[in-house]
Amino acid sequence: MNYHIRIEGHLDLQWADWFDGLLITHEASGDTLLSGPVVDQAALYGLLCKVRDLGITLISVARVELGQGDESC
Amino acid sequence: MAYNRSMPTSILATKLFIPPPRPSAVPRPRLLTHLSAGLHGKLTLISAPAGFGKTTLLSAWVAGCGRPVAWLSLDTADADPSRFLVYLIAALQTVAPALGDGLLAALQSSQPPQPDAAAAALVNMIAAMPHDSVLVLDDYHAIAAQPVDRTLRFLLEHLPPALHLVIATRQDPPLPLARLRARGQLTELRAADLRFTPAEAAGFLNQSMGLDLSAEAISALERRTEGWIAGLQLAALSMRGSSDTGGFIRSFTGSHRFVMDYLVEEVLHQLPEHVQAFLLRTAILGRLCGPLCDAVARVPAAPGQETLAWLERANLFLVPLDDERRWYRYHHLFADLLRQQLRQRAAAPQGGAEADEAELHARASAWYEDTGLELEAFRHAAAANDVARAARLIAGGGMPLHFRGAVAPVLGWLASLPQRTLDAHPALWVTYASALSMTGQVDSVEAKLQAAEAALPDPEADDTARNLVGHIAALRAFLAATQNQVEPIIAQSRRALEYLHPDNLAVRTATIWKLGIAYRLQGDRAAAARSFREAAALSQESGNTLIAIWASIGLGQVQELDLQLHLAGETYRRVLDLGGDLPGPAASDAHLGLARISYHWGDLDAAERHGCQGRDLARQMESIDTSLPAMLLLARVHLARGDVGGAAARLAEAEQFMRRNDFLSWAPEIAEARVLTLLRQGDHAAAAALAQTYDLPQSQARVLLAQGDPAAALATLEPWRDHVEARGWADERLRAMVLQALALHAHGDGAGALGLLGEALALAEPDGCVRLFVDEGPPMTLLLRRLKDGGGMMGEHLHRLLRAFGAQHDAPASPAAHPLIEPLSEREREILGLIVAGLANQQIADQLTISLNTVLYHTKNIYGKLGVNRRPLAIARARELNLM
Repeated sequence: MNYHIRIEGHLDLQWADWFDGLLITHEASGDTLLSGPVVDQAALYGLLCKVRDLGITLISVARVELGQGDESC
Repeated sequence: MAYNRSMPTSILATKLFIPPPRPSAVPRPRLLTHLSAGLHGKLTLISAPAGFGKTTLLSAWVAGCGRPVAWLSLDTADADPSRFLVYLIAALQTVAPALGDGLLAALQSSQPPQPDAAAAALVNMIAAMPHDSVLVLDDYHAIAAQPVDRTLRFLLEHLPPALHLVIATRQDPPLPLARLRARGQLTELRAADLRFTPAEAAGFLNQSMGLDLSAEAISALERRTEGWIAGLQLAALSMRGSSDTGGFIRSFTGSHRFVMDYLVEEVLHQLPEHVQAFLLRTAILGRLCGPLCDAVARVPAAPGQETLAWLERANLFLVPLDDERRWYRYHHLFADLLRQQLRQRAAAPQGGAEADEAELHARASAWYEDTGLELEAFRHAAAANDVARAARLIAGGGMPLHFRGAVAPVLGWLASLPQRTLDAHPALWVTYASALSMTGQVDSVEAKLQAAEAALPDPEADDTARNLVGHIAALRAFLAATQNQVEPIIAQSRRALEYLHPDNLAVRTATIWKLGIAYRLQGDRAAAARSFREAAALSQESGNTLIAIWASIGLGQVQELDLQLHLAGETYRRVLDLGGDLPGPAASDAHLGLARISYHWGDLDAAERHGCQGRDLARQMESIDTSLPAMLLLARVHLARGDVGGAAARLAEAEQFMRRNDFLSWAPEIAEARVLTLLRQGDHAAAAALAQTYDLPQSQARVLLAQGDPAAALATLEPWRDHVEARGWADERLRAMVLQALALHAHGDGAGALGLLGEALALAEPDGCVRLFVDEGPPMTLLLRRLKDGGGMMGEHLHRLLRAFGAQHDAPASPAAHPLIEPLSEREREILGLIVAGLANQQIADQLTISLNTVLYHTKNIYGKLGVNRRPLAIARARELNLM
């Protein structure tokens, strides 16, 4: 299952590893989009905990079908 | 309790250390006032993301809150209810020494009580705490996991008013917060309350951090960080080393980069190379001390002790963990960022300059092992992915780590390993099975044992292989014991003892104890006593107190059945001494044994007292059947006092409990007691049917005697007596002889009856069995008088029995006339009156102008004397006994 996790601020690209290889994209709005496959709900919560533990502001989480564009979350 | 080799994994005092308030911290009077006002409620919740100054605020508050404070800093390792409770008790002991010592030892043992039972026991101990206190749970998010949440919910629900709970966390705990809010029992501080106001930001930057910033610069920083304290602190650190603060603020506030990414890099670059290396390498440590840092970082230019002191002075997110400035930790958020930097640098192509994480963990593991902190050594070995090392550390010096209160981390690690790794280390399969068996996951054990056997090429290869084979057999004996399969228990235990290494006392003693249980199930009491005695001696020698206690219980029960009542009593008392205030099932069994012995001796009050204690202790446990023999014993006490209705009620209760919990093996004993009650009620037909259904020869004989057919009774008793004599069952033999004497007498063979009774008296005299005779009522009195008139030799015991019969006659016929063993005091009577009148505890306290704690103390005593555990029952009992 693919997920889009949007967070506040531009997160350095090197964090990709920390977030289990998710793709890090900087958006013009100043937010960061973490996107990519997440194996299951437990893994998703693990990712959200990492966001929490870095004190990053979470904006949205959305599940997306493969091939879909970046629709708003 | 004496522990040596089974020393539980040690308690880290640093987790209980209250961080001292920072002298330079920004004063936050509005938040402190809010916290103090919250003391009237049950719970204070400080819930905000990392870096909002939760811990700093709390440390400033507790320093001046005016109550004793217990502090517990949680980490992910505590996400196990038993370990959580261990640390909870250890923390409470900092304000109430010796609170729950026995419970603490039990929780750290290889057979910890159920978390629910332990939590219930803990609540009682908290209620008895001498002062109103505060308990702070810092970093609760680290252990947010279902089982621990459940324990916390239970504690909060039953929390006595003497303790105020404060939880600091990054996410709301799953507690009924809305309900607590509605009742005014919850005080909250959240991110919006904690973030620095512009005035606080100014105070922090210019006073605490010694900068000299304009109002405009401060407001720009405050906006960029949104008052986030960690961000402001890093920004201040970056500026401290820079001459161009204006430039820094412009580029920082103009950047979209995540505040932390931006600032950590800035701060690190301000620092000398060797300090950077020190920070990055030590970031893998959960806690730091000088020598550990030296061992891990290996940066000669940055000696551990000095560098830590320097970092603390420089305000670099270092939190002291003790008064001596020996142990520290990094602020969690900062440590996460450092670890990320470490990974980046280690992965950098030109790098290799930075040591990789596995190597750093391996160094930490070695240092912890040398220092004797095996659990920490194991954790770092696991993090270093060094399987052989981790396996060796689990095995420990004869007492495996998971036998010492560390089941959860061991199981967690084993579950994370791929199968081929376990196959390469068959001992790990066996450890896996052993840890699973300890956590009640019995169904998964056999598969792991088979995997171990498959991975073990030659069972006879060497001592290590043989020891493993022995351990596998011991675990199979355990599995058989959970099913009460006697033959397999014995076969597997014997195999285990043949193969296990002589030094493997931990497994050997547990196996010998299990063998004792099997022998007793077989009815071979002598063999059972031998095994129990050996297991008790060996385990005491090796410091395994829990097995010593269980083996002693087994021994006491066999001695009791052999009518060695004095010895059995000593054994049970030794169990209670060994266990301290251990709330476990063992204490329940010991009290129950003492209750039965007191009953034998005709001391009904003591029997009732111990019986109630045993029953109440048993009720704290889930799924144990000790309540049943307690109810049976109490029914016998009722019957002995002539209260047939009370006895019948207890037995009905016992039967219901047995069916509800599927303890069907108790059915014959309950039936036997019911036969006695039915006969007293004159219902011969029902008694006969019951004795028939459960094939109880003694009960059948009793019914036949009551029906006036002594010949048939004798015909039933004779083969039964042969049967029990052949097996050497002293108690059954004596009971059979007493019944035979009565039957002979009824059959007209007076001389035979008196002869047999004389023999029975001789057997009963040494250990003073009284009730075995007195329970038979008037026909026995008659027979004993005859014996006395006949001038038999058994003068002493005979007189004792006749006196007991006399007392029986003088005793009140109904319990209502003698309602309470211990009468209520004047104060208790007064409070009970107010309870019956429907007043709440606080209202009672107000009315009598005493403290709420005092009311709770009295109500507890009142409940105890009334033999109830809840308010409605107390009211009912007070009315029933006409106490008002």
